[in-house]
Amino acid sequence: MLNIEDLSITYGKNSDPAIRGVSLEVKKGEIVSIVGESGSGKTSVIRAVLGCLPGGGRVSHGEIRFEGKSLLAYSREEWRRLRGTEISMIFQDSGAMINPIRRIGAQYVEYVRTHQKLSKKEAWDKCVEMLKRMRLPGADNIMRSYPFQLSGGQRQRVGIAMAMTFQPKLLLADEPTSALDVTTQAQIVRQMMGLRDKYDTSIIVVTHNLGVAAYMADKILVMQNGRVVEAGTREQILHHTADAYTRKLLDSVPSMGGYRFV
Amino acid sequence: MSENHERILEAKHVTKKYSAPGGRTLTANSDINLCMYRGRTLGVVGESGCGKSTFMRMVLSLEEPTEGEILYRGKNITKLKGEKLRQHRQNIQMVFQDPSEAFNPKMKIMDIVCEPLLNFKRIKQSEKEQAARRLLEMVELPGDFAYRYPHNMSGGQRQRVGIARALALEPEIIICDEATSALDVSVQKTIIELLVRLQREKNIAYGFICHDIALVQSLAHQVAVMYLGNIVEILPGERIGAGSLHPYTRGLMGAIFDLKMDFSKPIESIEGEVPSPLDMPEGCPFQNRCRQCMEICRKEKPLLRTVSEDHQVACHLYGEGRQI
Repeated sequence: MLNIEDLSITYGKNSDPAIRGVSLEVKKGEIVSIVGESGSGKTSVIRAVLGCLPGGGRVSHGEIRFEGKSLLAYSREEWRRLRGTEISMIFQDSGAMINPIRRIGAQYVEYVRTHQKLSKKEAWDKCVEMLKRMRLPGADNIMRSYPFQLSGGQRQRVGIAMAMTFQPKLLLADEPTSALDVTTQAQIVRQMMGLRDKYDTSIIVVTHNLGVAAYMADKILVMQNGRVVEAGTREQILHHTADAYTRKLLDSVPSMGGYRFV
Repeated sequence: MSENHERILEAKHVTKKYSAPGGRTLTANSDINLCMYRGRTLGVVGESGCGKSTFMRMVLSLEEPTEGEILYRGKNITKLKGEKLRQHRQNIQMVFQDPSEAFNPKMKIMDIVCEPLLNFKRIKQSEKEQAARRLLEMVELPGDFAYRYPHNMSGGQRQRVGIARALALEPEIIICDEATSALDVSVQKTIIELLVRLQREKNIAYGFICHDIALVQSLAHQVAVMYLGNIVEILPGERIGAGSLHPYTRGLMGAIFDLKMDFSKPIESIEGEVPSPLDMPEGCPFQNRCRQCMEICRKEKPLLRTVSEDHQVACHLYGEGRQI
């Protein structure tokens, strides 16, 4: 469904690309995780898919195809129609994505009505329905709240609800759980897995938490310094890795009942 | 373990309350009793807002407890003022969470690590360079880093500088408040190895705050699990995997994504959200999220009871006369 071929991304006036030769194929209903340390370029890859590279970044080589059509040839108008409906994104801190001085409801309704012809009332009901599906208790209350009145976990769920409103075919998640506590993280991960089971959504998760990546993904991509060092199924990466860097990453993850330093 | 090691810090019935708008009170810590031993690590785990940082801030004398006392080598440190307090700060130092925000960006590394030494007149200005090199080498950084600025270093290197600064005064206790959570896993591992090595060499006691229970059990001798301002369980680090009893501790462990886990099994998690510390429920603080909640949990707050050596738990399931 999504095909990334030999992608290179260049920032600013540099002639050297920051990301080099990334290829990735995502099938319908498949979950792919991209793991790597900070600065390895994992976020740049999914930002390129959505056409929103920050600070003068551009795709300097390669091809991104979504359902057979090249995304790079899209005009701004075409891209605008795609974003938020066919492809949507969950950010690390959804609280930062939401306008802090407007109530959740006002923004959510506006978002829905931008993409679909609905009356305010219908849009509001649709929003409440989505929030309920994300198992947010008191959905009506949340619609009338300001972002700062919600906890981090609640805000993240609002973010996911917004991203899922139009049942996108592809969901991009950039560190969706790293700002959350372990208990909330487990709840969010479970909900994202539920989306795949229910709507057959394809998901790309970018994370530095190898445990989360391994739990969610069918396929794992390990990145370092803007290159893919290894790609394969979960089984291959976890148990039969050929790469020294992947090995080192896996060994660094603390585990219950695992190695003790003292 | 309690008896073989020298007890250097003891918190007795420490309670911290803040006044909140509307005449209400926020209870950040209620009746905390904990000890720290020479050369040992006390790990504190819990979700955000459970009061783990507040407790450590009181140990550092950055906050004053509302009730209770903290004894450092038998002396109550909560009422220290002025010069006495200043002198006492040499005994307990801190490593912060985010190394990029813990330093003055306009100071050279040399000035950062030597500032505590100069403040307490342990060295002269002329000896600064030598002292900085010695400290940096102790944390496995090249001595030439003394001339750099914080922004010229990676996150892991900066955290080493943070450790070097905390070590400068040779304190007996170092508090690490989420000292590794901002770092990548591979860097985290090297920092932990460094901390453990320094502990062996210098017999430092660590207070290690962390939300990653898997990491805590790998390095702490003693782990305290906190929930909503209360300690719900204290047990030795190596027993936390198999021997923990409190439903909250079990729930925390169930929520961990482990590389060795069974991926086909759905992940367990504690449902719901932590209640606000402004309106603490009567009875057990964990009652509304606990699957084994009983009648008594809604009425009576469970106290910490010793269930086996070095293992205490605050839960009615493990009360007197019940089976463990």
